[in-house]
Amino acid sequence: MTAPAMISIQHLHCAFGSRQVLCDINADIEQGGMYAVMGLNGCGKTTLLRCIGNLIRPQEGVVCIDGVDVRDYGIRRLAQQVSLVRQHSNTDFEFTAFETVLMGRNPYQYRLQNESQRDWEMVERCMRLTNTWELRLSKPHEMSGGEWQRVMLARALAQDTPVMLLDEPTSNLDIAHQFEIMELLCKINRSQGKTILIVMHDLNLAYRYCPSLLLLHDHRVYFQGPMSAGLTPANIQKVFGVDYPFLKAH
Amino acid sequence: MKRLFFVLCIVLLLALMVVSATMGAAHIAWADLWQSPIFLNLRLPRILLCVLAGAALSVSGASYQAIFRNSLTDPYVLGISSGASLGAAIAIVAGLQYTLLGIGGCALLSALFTIWLIYRIATIGNRLHSTTLLLTGVCLTFLISALVSLLMVMHQDKMESIIFWTMGSFASATWNGVFTLLPVVVLGMAVVLRHARDLNLLLVGSEAAQSMGVDVEKVKKRLLLATTFMIAFTVSCSGVVGFVGLVVPHCVRLIVGPDNRRVLPYSIVLGSIFVLVCDTLARTLLQPGELPVGSLTALVGAPLFIYLLYRNKQML
Repeated sequence: MTAPAMISIQHLHCAFGSRQVLCDINADIEQGGMYAVMGLNGCGKTTLLRCIGNLIRPQEGVVCIDGVDVRDYGIRRLAQQVSLVRQHSNTDFEFTAFETVLMGRNPYQYRLQNESQRDWEMVERCMRLTNTWELRLSKPHEMSGGEWQRVMLARALAQDTPVMLLDEPTSNLDIAHQFEIMELLCKINRSQGKTILIVMHDLNLAYRYCPSLLLLHDHRVYFQGPMSAGLTPANIQKVFGVDYPFLKAH
Repeated sequence: MKRLFFVLCIVLLLALMVVSATMGAAHIAWADLWQSPIFLNLRLPRILLCVLAGAALSVSGASYQAIFRNSLTDPYVLGISSGASLGAAIAIVAGLQYTLLGIGGCALLSALFTIWLIYRIATIGNRLHSTTLLLTGVCLTFLISALVSLLMVMHQDKMESIIFWTMGSFASATWNGVFTLLPVVVLGMAVVLRHARDLNLLLVGSEAAQSMGVDVEKVKKRLLLATTFMIAFTVSCSGVVGFVGLVVPHCVRLIVGPDNRRVLPYSIVLGSIFVLVCDTLARTLLQPGELPVGSLTALVGAPLFIYLLYRNKQML
């Protein structure tokens, strides 16, 4: 009935000092699923993504990707499995957009070896897909926030991973580009079967594009399942503490 | 085209080495060069030492700038060079001056301790703050220079001039120094060059680098160890020559762009040229006296540092 779990999270506890950020998180992310990860600011969404990417060590619990603990992958092999688009990426360097996207090929390259033909092709394809090929010679400070965000997405695509984690990829964008990015992610999700987790705040956007929902509340998983069943006025009232009339129409 | 330019830089370095060999207080005829004890025992080791030191300091500076993600850092500004000089001074006072390895070893230990201290002080939470990093480096430099001066005043019989340790000098270059420094610098450069691509990714950010397959902690440790090795042994031979690691990579980046796969090799060659030129000027400008070479590098480096600081104001 359901696809096998691509990412399996068990009893995940994570705290920074005395501040508990994730508390007994259990979730199974299906292969090829497209999940919106939602919840109030500071409820641990970003921390969850960082745990999945093995960028921080949780105090307790395991995250398995394809049945293997993320800590057992090795950094290079994990980078071939999971790519991450961060919410705030710094831009204080002088690399061009092309060079930045090319860095996404790092997990497939060996020391002292130059880029292969495949790397070049992959970068061009990803940049064309994200509509950034024209910007390839621009430097970060010459681009708008939205353009830079698309370059970051291109870099994650160039990493060619079955799992993509995105932390508010549309937060810097106008509505047209928000739609464009979400359409693109849907297309990638469908055509390449990638498993995609997106932290986002826009309920409408999430409802429209993501078939699945992972709703966090009070550092725990409040709901996990199909979007239509999860994003109900009652849940929204409970998690966000507001009445959100828009969805009643559905 | 790019390769040709690099070869030209190397040719320029070799040419400058020859020119430098013929300059100096004592005039040596071309024909007598290989018979002249002044050339063989004084100038040649001195020139080679300049080349090695320049390469080591510049390549270390370039690595620091990527590791700390801060274009204002170099071994001198962060106080690592001073840290090494303290260790070397202690070694000399303790009577280990007859083996360069003993001095180098002590310099290495105290340089490592310095870098650990800086890391501990400048890291807040999980982040390394640019401003704190630079201030820590500057303060440690003051503190360590004071300690070195104190040691020297108390042991005037054992130490060379204060100038040697605080402003740097190649005047006491020996073949012994060249042969000690050579393997350290060659090995150190090999380690750093191997990680050129990792340094590019580190420039983008630690976490981003890790998510793109760089073992950030391991790479940083390995590179800091390799560069500290080079710096410690360089300082043991030449004292603290400041700002080389700041000036050279910065100028190189203006020419070849930010990619460390080009920045590092160019820094090695242009760093050698820079130190060689400064030292040649230092020993020929005020004949028969000598300027401390560190004052010349600082004359170029300090204004550049201020300029960079001014340009990056909003970043700090």
